[in-house]
Amino acid sequence: MTIIEAAQALRQRAVSSAELTEAALKRIGELNPKLNAVLTVLEESARSQAKAADEELARRADRGPLHGIPIAVKDVFETRGVRTTCGSVIFMHHIPDRDATVVEKLRAAGAVLLGKAGMHELAYGITSNNPHFGTIRNPWDADRIPGGSSGGSGSAVASDMVFMAMGSDTGGSIRIPAAFCGTVGLKPTSGRVSRYGVMPLDFSLDHMGPLTRSVRDTAITLEAIAGFDPRDETSSKEPVGNYVPEPGCSIRNVRIGLPQNFYFERLDPDVDMAVRRTAAAAEALGARIIPVRVPDIDALNVVGRVILLAEASALMEKYVDNRDQFGSDVLALFDQGRLLPATDYVNAQRLRRMMQREFAQLWSRIDCLFTPTTPMAAPRIGDRTATLGPFTEDVRLAATRLVRGINVLGLPAISLPCGLDRRGLPVGLQIVGRPFDEALILQVAAALEDSGIGIPACQTAVE
Amino acid sequence: MKNWKKLAEATDLRIPESDIEGIAPSLDTLESAFRPLTKKIPDDIEPAVTFCMIPEAGE
Repeated sequence: MTIIEAAQALRQRAVSSAELTEAALKRIGELNPKLNAVLTVLEESARSQAKAADEELARRADRGPLHGIPIAVKDVFETRGVRTTCGSVIFMHHIPDRDATVVEKLRAAGAVLLGKAGMHELAYGITSNNPHFGTIRNPWDADRIPGGSSGGSGSAVASDMVFMAMGSDTGGSIRIPAAFCGTVGLKPTSGRVSRYGVMPLDFSLDHMGPLTRSVRDTAITLEAIAGFDPRDETSSKEPVGNYVPEPGCSIRNVRIGLPQNFYFERLDPDVDMAVRRTAAAAEALGARIIPVRVPDIDALNVVGRVILLAEASALMEKYVDNRDQFGSDVLALFDQGRLLPATDYVNAQRLRRMMQREFAQLWSRIDCLFTPTTPMAAPRIGDRTATLGPFTEDVRLAATRLVRGINVLGLPAISLPCGLDRRGLPVGLQIVGRPFDEALILQVAAALEDSGIGIPACQTAVE
Repeated sequence: MKNWKKLAEATDLRIPESDIEGIAPSLDTLESAFRPLTKKIPDDIEPAVTFCMIPEAGE
């Protein structure tokens, strides 16, 4: 069931928020011991919020489509009075006295906060194999990673524990778990959604966005959480649009760029085929597929890595001398960042400016760009390398290769499930848009979804 | 390539030698990819970071 379907059922009195919440709690009780997707379950407060939501709806005090809908937020979003760990032993007992702006907005929209989703330690990795809180598993195959760092969010949404889970994305951390778990995941434009009250990994690359089971559910959530926030210095005053695509929305004459370089190199053949098939489906719907050459994305990724290593290490500098507090993968990244000279950081930010200008020239020719989200489907837990046709590549670098650069550019991007590979694992299509043009990429994704592009419900979710 | 071990020692980072050995290949790869890019930056390009003035109290 999607948020839209649940919202309709709530208003028809076919179901109550209390019933949705009990069903979700039951689901978490059944599946969480296996998947470890939800780190903190908020049974008591969720029941109380659901009861209040039902009472409000009964007296026609309707807060909109999220009213009474059970959700989760990644454990990077601060929640007043509720432990917020950031997946780290350092913050094991951190109980904030404030809600993140996103959490405030979701509460105001009437959503029922069911729990805090697990994640990769400090949001700094893509496996969600957390040394302090346990391994999070992919509901499509519990021996595989859900992706990360928002792995708990992806696993919880795909396994039907919640209707929506918020994630954060610094180098692909919403889109990678969305692709690996077969959900929709949106990284909005930089400044579109407030970062206030979200424990940072990085100062200039972090973005907040939802993971859901449908495109319109993502759009509904974006409408609830987008907008200027004076408490976030990078928050934009760009007006919030209407993001929810109309039923039967058209993409006739939308110009879709299909990269001729970089994005289709070193892919699992099944990923290549699924994404190209989706581009053909878009063309059949009336969109224009335009072959394009993109700027040097390898260079963009290098710039992104320098910025992230430097900013994340600066942020955690005061903690790193106590080395036992970190998993080995995260500690290795902090050490790398501490060894970079300050001049490299400044020059990476200068290169970022150059590359933003170069990439912006694409928008005169196209309205959005189609790429795979990841070069392969979910790897097995513990795999350090991925085999992509004749190539072997480090799993972390491979998983972030097609998404990291978009954070450097600050552009909006959505991952849409577009097929299954030969093992029956989800494959994601990434649609990248102009700054603040979330409406267009949501419209394209919704039209594809309406036309039948997508994947069947996860078997774990229907067992 | 840079001597990461000596660099860590010189800056008093207290990173164990075995850990330096573990990260050196990644740093070498990053260094060799990043250094040539810096040669291409025109002089008038400023960093893509913003500094926000905080209004003084009473403004």
